[in-house]
Amino acid sequence: MLVLGIDTSGYANAIGVVDGERILADFMFETRNESLAKIMLNIDSVLKGAGLGLEDIEGFGVGLGPGSWTGIRIGVTVGKMLAYCTGKPLKGISTLEVLAYRARDYHRLICPIVDAGAGGTIYAAFYRAANDKINQIGDYYVGDLPGLVEMIKEPTVLVADKAQEYLGIIGNSIQPNTVEALEKSPRGAAVAKLAAARLESGEQDDMLALAPLYLKESTARAFVNKYSGRALEV
Amino acid sequence: MLVLGIETSCDETSAALVTDGRTVLSNIIANQLDLHRKYGGVVPEIAARRHTELIGYVINEALDVGGKSLTDVEAVAVTAKQGLVGSLLVGVAAAKTLSYVLRVPLIGVHHIEGHIFANLLSNPEIPLPHVCLTVSGGHTLLVYIKGHCQYELLGGTVDDAAGEAFDKIAKFLDLGFPGGPIIDRLAAQGDRKAFNFPRPLLKAKTNYFSFSGLKTAIINAFKHQLATGKVLPLEDIAASFQEAVVEVLVTKTLRAAKQREVSAISVTGGVSANRRLREVFTDTCSAEGIKVYFPDLSLCTDNAAMIAAAGHARLAHGQADDLSLDVVPNVPLEVQHAG
Repeated sequence: MLVLGIDTSGYANAIGVVDGERILADFMFETRNESLAKIMLNIDSVLKGAGLGLEDIEGFGVGLGPGSWTGIRIGVTVGKMLAYCTGKPLKGISTLEVLAYRARDYHRLICPIVDAGAGGTIYAAFYRAANDKINQIGDYYVGDLPGLVEMIKEPTVLVADKAQEYLGIIGNSIQPNTVEALEKSPRGAAVAKLAAARLESGEQDDMLALAPLYLKESTARAFVNKYSGRALEV
Repeated sequence: MLVLGIETSCDETSAALVTDGRTVLSNIIANQLDLHRKYGGVVPEIAARRHTELIGYVINEALDVGGKSLTDVEAVAVTAKQGLVGSLLVGVAAAKTLSYVLRVPLIGVHHIEGHIFANLLSNPEIPLPHVCLTVSGGHTLLVYIKGHCQYELLGGTVDDAAGEAFDKIAKFLDLGFPGGPIIDRLAAQGDRKAFNFPRPLLKAKTNYFSFSGLKTAIINAFKHQLATGKVLPLEDIAASFQEAVVEVLVTKTLRAAKQREVSAISVTGGVSANRRLREVFTDTCSAEGIKVYFPDLSLCTDNAAMIAAAGHARLAHGQADDLSLDVVPNVPLEVQHAG
């Protein structure tokens, strides 16, 4: 199945195309704050470079985050509208799973980490690889790095775009050789492969309803009137 | 020509189908008020999240209600300028994808130009040139409309928008959110002359507005009453406040119209739904021999039909954007951008 994969949860447009297990294209465009401006042009150039037209694509995969809230919304909206306009199926994949997938050859616990971008907060999760499949163990983690380290009880590989930096920070607080670092980013082809496997088994998301995986609520606080002490009602 | 319009600049997720810039086939508006009410204002992150959840549904419904399919769409117009950046980009991301897949022109529209076209949609006979007051929760602008898509900015607010003053007063008086319709209702039962609130910049020979001092005057009057233990006539405060805002808006717009020697005024934006504003504009303009136009109530607040109409006009002038279209949260309405 020919699947186009997109992830815009970081400061890049990650775009890839796979035919089942075979990678046809896999590009990472550094965009910083030009993610929205560049996304369609980048998708178009990846397709053309692979000698494909949009009409050849049989399904879409999109990275749901966590990551930059603004960034994810671009990729998720584009993914939803691509599926809606072409009538082809759509599958959203957790960006943490995409990272974990890139460490599937490691025979240890896999811990992908995404920087939440403020105050040292990170998003993470644990995965285990078995027979080329990866399964999430437990819930998503939102907190600081020391809190995550406390949860690590066995040989683990940290997967993140700055995994070495994380390893440097936690180096002394953990048994030697327990943690390895693997520097990887969420790539479009990995999103596409994971989506293809699910789409082929008949699994798909509602192309109108699909929403990003934020893992954190907006921090707005309810307004309380200074004079009446009453909160504005919902 | 069938144009699909998309508007997500603030807290309304909207999609519409408009033919030839004149006939509204559908205008779907998903209002997020319930999500923002307890905060007493629009929370940008909450708005952006809701847009992402709703955008596909409103586009789908606009096509459904309009009785058209995606392949009938001949152009996509989207609000790309002026608004909350996180909100704008959801609409623009959707519009770009539609334009790319359907291979139809993409037009990025300035939100204020959309409001100007809301009035033209309701009243295609408005003569040119004329003076337009755009007044909402986010804007208070006086624009001289020289010709089709030709604008000259005459003035605007130096602090709060008029609608923002309504919201802030309602929040302060514990009346709820949004303030405009609440104060409009309350004011209808109050005495407009109970308090003589200031009319900021009324006499100044400038086309600029200021509503922040008026807000402070009302807060002070309220505190004074609270201190003296009087029963607070909220209806009277609301009516007196509204009267001050209305008088400033009407007087200054009329003065600008006379300066420019035009025979018509258009009033647009969310606050143009205010009943007292319409009443005073209508009475004053009729006494001065100037015609005044308001949009249908359904087109006063943010909606995608007005964006589709504006996009159609720009396309007719040979203006379209390419797929690199980006959002610009704060930019003046272009002066004479017609080709």
